[in-house]
Amino acid sequence: MTDRTVEFTLPLVGGDHVSLAALVQDGPRLLVFAHADCPTSHLALRHLAAIADGPVRPVLIAEEPPELAARMARRSGIRFPVLAQEAPFPVSEQLGIEAVPTAVLVDAAGTAVESLVGWDRAGYERLLGTPLPDRGPARKPGCGSRLHEPPAEGGLDEPEDMFERGWTDGLPVVPPTPERVERMLGGRDPGRSLGAVPPGGGTATLERVAACAVLAGCRPDYFPVVEAAVEAALDPALNPHGLAVTTQPGGVVLVVNGPARERLGLNSGMGALGPGTRANMTIGRALRLVLMLTGDARPGRLDRSTLSNPAKVGLCIAEDEERSPWGPLHVDRGLEPGASAVTAVAADAPLSISDHRSTTPDELAWVLAQAAAVTWSPCWWPMDDDSLFVIGPEHAATFAAAGWTKEQVREAIFAAAVRPAGELKRGETTPAVRESPDDRPIHKWADPARILIVVAGGEAGRYSAVLGPCDGMQTRPVTREVRWTT
Amino acid sequence: MDYVSPIDPRAAEPLEHAPRPESLDGRRMVLLDITKNRGAEFLDRIEAHLRRRGSKTFRISKEIFSRPASTEVIERVAIHGDLVVEGLAD
Repeated sequence: MTDRTVEFTLPLVGGDHVSLAALVQDGPRLLVFAHADCPTSHLALRHLAAIADGPVRPVLIAEEPPELAARMARRSGIRFPVLAQEAPFPVSEQLGIEAVPTAVLVDAAGTAVESLVGWDRAGYERLLGTPLPDRGPARKPGCGSRLHEPPAEGGLDEPEDMFERGWTDGLPVVPPTPERVERMLGGRDPGRSLGAVPPGGGTATLERVAACAVLAGCRPDYFPVVEAAVEAALDPALNPHGLAVTTQPGGVVLVVNGPARERLGLNSGMGALGPGTRANMTIGRALRLVLMLTGDARPGRLDRSTLSNPAKVGLCIAEDEERSPWGPLHVDRGLEPGASAVTAVAADAPLSISDHRSTTPDELAWVLAQAAAVTWSPCWWPMDDDSLFVIGPEHAATFAAAGWTKEQVREAIFAAAVRPAGELKRGETTPAVRESPDDRPIHKWADPARILIVVAGGEAGRYSAVLGPCDGMQTRPVTREVRWTT
Repeated sequence: MDYVSPIDPRAAEPLEHAPRPESLDGRRMVLLDITKNRGAEFLDRIEAHLRRRGSKTFRISKEIFSRPASTEVIERVAIHGDLVVEGLAD
């Protein structure tokens, strides 16, 4: 295979086609033939990944299609050019490659001057003119080249590929092929921007948002709700930067109102805060993936949450407007009853409140208030940011039977969450508490307006839930109407 | 396989850290209070220590800890200092 002039052009991973003539313009190259099913190939690449620069620069010629060649490069961490060679493997044929890895040293004139079959660290060091680290055996026999293999079955393991790319929240995702993303976009302008996603600042083009919706498992008809959710979550009033980088556990919780709920099959009934319904699960997850992937708010990187919480996989609640005795949240927030809307709320994980014994609205409001009293931090009174109460239908019926309006419920919860400052002077407490005489009453919230109320949940069981605030974030809920047309 | 990436390549470029100084001598120190609880106490101690060493310090506060610093604050930091010490947590 040596002392012959080599000529070829192959696709460069991450670029266009490239010829050997172009590669040797800057000096000799070590062509490393390898394939993904060969452990010795991976051993060689793992060593070569350590090379910063040397007199001879390597080039990987993978006997693989481009996506698998790229995967080999990612797995090994190599940073030199990767060329993909598919069946019938014309370059392997040209050089008579029988085994991989095979290294072929090509001089600046494009002549193969030396070759090395299998893994031999000292041999590679000599050919490259640079030392290599000890990352496994110093020698290992290679494997058969693909040149004489029958055509392979299968190919790329797509779900694994998604994990390797990091396009995931830790759960399997749907690969965002151009066809799926195009269907998700439904004719919308892929380049239209919904804004920069903090903290990383990546631009949320509709195409990237659609890619996240595909990854999350959304159906294309969910996309208008995802779009509205991303718009709401990027509004500075919500403080998306602070929410992304804080050590707090909370995240963005979505509440959907209006006809979108029935149109998309969102669950507002039994198990309203939990798993089981595709629309709820995937819409909430799509927003989270936009924040994590386009915004780079990944746990341990720019997301600095100490403990985080399970709702940060994504939480999308639909309000049960039909069972609610009151007007829906989006109407409270100024939209028409017939509109579909998404409200983004910065909130902690849901805290369940069981109360099967209260018979009066006052008693029930008191119980709900006591549960909320321990949210955020038990002695941190008053809180400045919003708490979201999800009132179960049976609890709502108790209030409705007594003729209570939503405003009365809000005021009663606010009034019942009050303690003398002296009881709160321990642990993490506020300057307001520290500076107050012990007998001064302090409320849990700075203002009743910080209490949001929606109705959802199964018809049986006297449960409600409270989602505590992301306190100190200066965040306010943001509501966006869903636009169904492109 | 060709996929549509959810990642903005321009935003994905890692930011490079400025080179760490060998010494604080002659450097102008900015002490940035992000306004978290008790951050000022920490910076008071650092400031006293730096002044004993003869360093010049410049004190500045962010408007609110939970949001990025304003352009004005960032510009003032850049004008007044070679190095920044931030009081991050409470």
